[in-house]
Amino acid sequence: MENRPLEYDYTIAKMFMFTTIVLGIVGMLIGVILAFQLAFPGVNLILGEGLAEYTNFSRLRPLHTDAVIFGFTLSGVFATWYYVGQRVLKVSMAESKLLMVLGKAHFWLYLVVVASVVVSLLAGVTTSKEYAEFEWPIDIAVVVVWVIFGMSIFGLIGIRREKSLYISVWYYIATFLGIAMLYLFNNMEIPTMFATSAAGESGIGSWYHSVSMYSGTNDALVQWWYGHNAVAFGFTVPIVAMIYYFLPKESGQAIYSYKLSLLSFWGLMFVYLWAGGHHLLYSTVPDWMQTMGSIFSIILILPSWGSAINMLLTMKGEWQQVAASPLIKFMILASTFYMFSTLEGPIQAIKSVNAIAHFTDWIVGHVHDGVLGWVGFMIMASLYHMAPRVFKREIYSKSLMATQFWIQTLGVVLYFTSMWIAGITQGMMWRAHDEFGNLAYSFIDTVTVLHPYYAIRGVGGLLYLVGFLMFAYNIYKTMSAREVENHELQNASPMGA
Amino acid sequence: MDIAELQAYGYFTLTILLVVALYGYIYHLYSTKKDVDGVDYESYSDMALKDDIDDTPVSPKSDD
Amino acid sequence: MFHWLEKHPFFFAVGVFLVISFAGLIEILPSFAQASRPVIGTAPYSTLELAGRHVYIKNSCNACHSQLVRPFKSETDRYGHYSLSGEYAYDRPFLWGSKRTGPDLMRVGNYRTTDWHENHMKDPASVVPGSIMPAYRWMFTKKADIDTAFAEQLTVANYFSVPYNQPVPMKDGSTAVVKLGNSVAEANTIALEEAKVIAADMKDQDVKDAVARGEIPEIVALIAYLNSLK
Repeated sequence: MENRPLEYDYTIAKMFMFTTIVLGIVGMLIGVILAFQLAFPGVNLILGEGLAEYTNFSRLRPLHTDAVIFGFTLSGVFATWYYVGQRVLKVSMAESKLLMVLGKAHFWLYLVVVASVVVSLLAGVTTSKEYAEFEWPIDIAVVVVWVIFGMSIFGLIGIRREKSLYISVWYYIATFLGIAMLYLFNNMEIPTMFATSAAGESGIGSWYHSVSMYSGTNDALVQWWYGHNAVAFGFTVPIVAMIYYFLPKESGQAIYSYKLSLLSFWGLMFVYLWAGGHHLLYSTVPDWMQTMGSIFSIILILPSWGSAINMLLTMKGEWQQVAASPLIKFMILASTFYMFSTLEGPIQAIKSVNAIAHFTDWIVGHVHDGVLGWVGFMIMASLYHMAPRVFKREIYSKSLMATQFWIQTLGVVLYFTSMWIAGITQGMMWRAHDEFGNLAYSFIDTVTVLHPYYAIRGVGGLLYLVGFLMFAYNIYKTMSAREVENHELQNASPMGA
Repeated sequence: MDIAELQAYGYFTLTILLVVALYGYIYHLYSTKKDVDGVDYESYSDMALKDDIDDTPVSPKSDD
Repeated sequence: MFHWLEKHPFFFAVGVFLVISFAGLIEILPSFAQASRPVIGTAPYSTLELAGRHVYIKNSCNACHSQLVRPFKSETDRYGHYSLSGEYAYDRPFLWGSKRTGPDLMRVGNYRTTDWHENHMKDPASVVPGSIMPAYRWMFTKKADIDTAFAEQLTVANYFSVPYNQPVPMKDGSTAVVKLGNSVAEANTIALEEAKVIAADMKDQDVKDAVARGEIPEIVALIAYLNSLK
């Protein structure tokens, strides 16, 4: 024992890699089903009339969003933290028994929460607030999981050998703090089981039901402050953490400007939280807040592009790597989509554009070019980079990876182009008047016209899912691929044919 | 003074404060290398590039 | 100072927290002090309506239907008067939605009837040709959860002073009183009385029989809720 050299311990990282893949498949499969339900309503009865309640669009929809956000993405965040965290702090989890126990508790409790979420959402137990659908017993469990995650982060930082914190660690800390704050405030609710009737009865009705502490407009304000920033701290901040580590590491290039990365960090932290108001334009929240939401959304382009350009410039003079390595392709496309959707978002937040875009499929398109193009690609790239290092084997197939890249890219392009057209078409039809000042279209006209776009979107989603299954297969086969020597693991990941 | 006015003042002061802090930070980042005990921030990239467990840390914790 | 912060994770975390909580402090907390007051004509939900609202939430109707009329001519032409903040005073949670796969429902009670909803929930495409909305036939057999709705009424009356059993001003100058039962049994009786009125306008014999037996199917509660949206 004494003479064995110290190594990084990837036990927990492997566990979360597993849930990233499984929950990714679940979330995306449900997404594809939902897409085809909109194009062909008969799919709602996919398992027959008897189970219609559980295969229905409206029951599955929260399951799709939550599986992708809290299943796929968060697992990816955890998996990469338990990998990157050790390496940039130069300390192994094997050095602390406590951290190992915490890590394992983190994983198993997380699984319990995932299971209870699936059951409760299928049963229709929901608070209706988007991405915060869980009722209070699950909320409490979520908080426990999150506190353990925080203890893991700060525990590892506490025993580090590297005094300064690498930029990725900054972003992981911000993820932890941001989600903690948002989740707590948005889920303030009172369980109804404590109510007592005039006759003295208590414990009336279902024990898990609760009522929001905020009402109406205030509730909406808190919800979209949460909803928008859950995107910030779930889909942006931790993914930026990943790219700041994995792109330089895989390409062997130092970050183009480390100073710019620090600056973008504070810029993003300061500006992002203000932008939530853009979800509520033309609603009943005070006017100045709506304007604030618009303005800050546009300023937000600066720190977002600061990071994205920094990543692209990191590849300066090394562009042949992009052609040669499918892994780098994934990351470069991810940062390109990041630039793209951080430009699209502010455009949609401009009041006059929002008047058309709000409530339409354009918003759905925006979310998906961010999540499929940026989040999905970056998490898959991270796992591809980690796989040879945690399994000590080369990636099973480079050509499979390249094929997957092109299939998924095509899928994303089909997805967002069809949703753009669908959204703008519908937005324009809703507001069209004829020469007498009457509405030109009934609502159903604006639905039936979308059929071809919904079908194209379904195909786009299906292609992405197929690509993801190829990814899962490639990682699975990697576990039995050729063993590699340590010196092969410096920068570019070893790949088989 | 009603709450909306307080809100506006609070918003204004805090924004100014943060803008000053941010510009101060930029100045700090780009001037620090010339300082006596200054740091070269660009060397921090090595935290990712040289991250094997037996690599030398960029600024070891035991330094102070 | 900055360099010091980068090497001290705890104070770094405090700094990050201050910066990110800033927007919330300024943007959200102050407006809570001015809690939105209900406008005239907005009454708390009755037990049956609230049970119907739970059915609406249980099936995530808000995933496809908004309840927010924006102040544009095209929207007021289609859905009626634009939304006012006070109209949502009793909405916990709010149900504005974020996507209109189907039309807005903020004032659906003004232009759709019990009969229309009954046919539509059974087979949407038979009422609106080309509709992509799925059918909700199980609502005709599953029972609405009146007890939980009652517990929620007690909770909001207790913590948020929602005016049950008190006169509430209506638009025509009259007042209305929304009754809150003294006991679970009484709450069920009040809900059943309301359900009978709805069921009288319905055609489905099983639903009528169930209400006659003293049971309330989900569809009855849901229609009561939809009719209350005005």
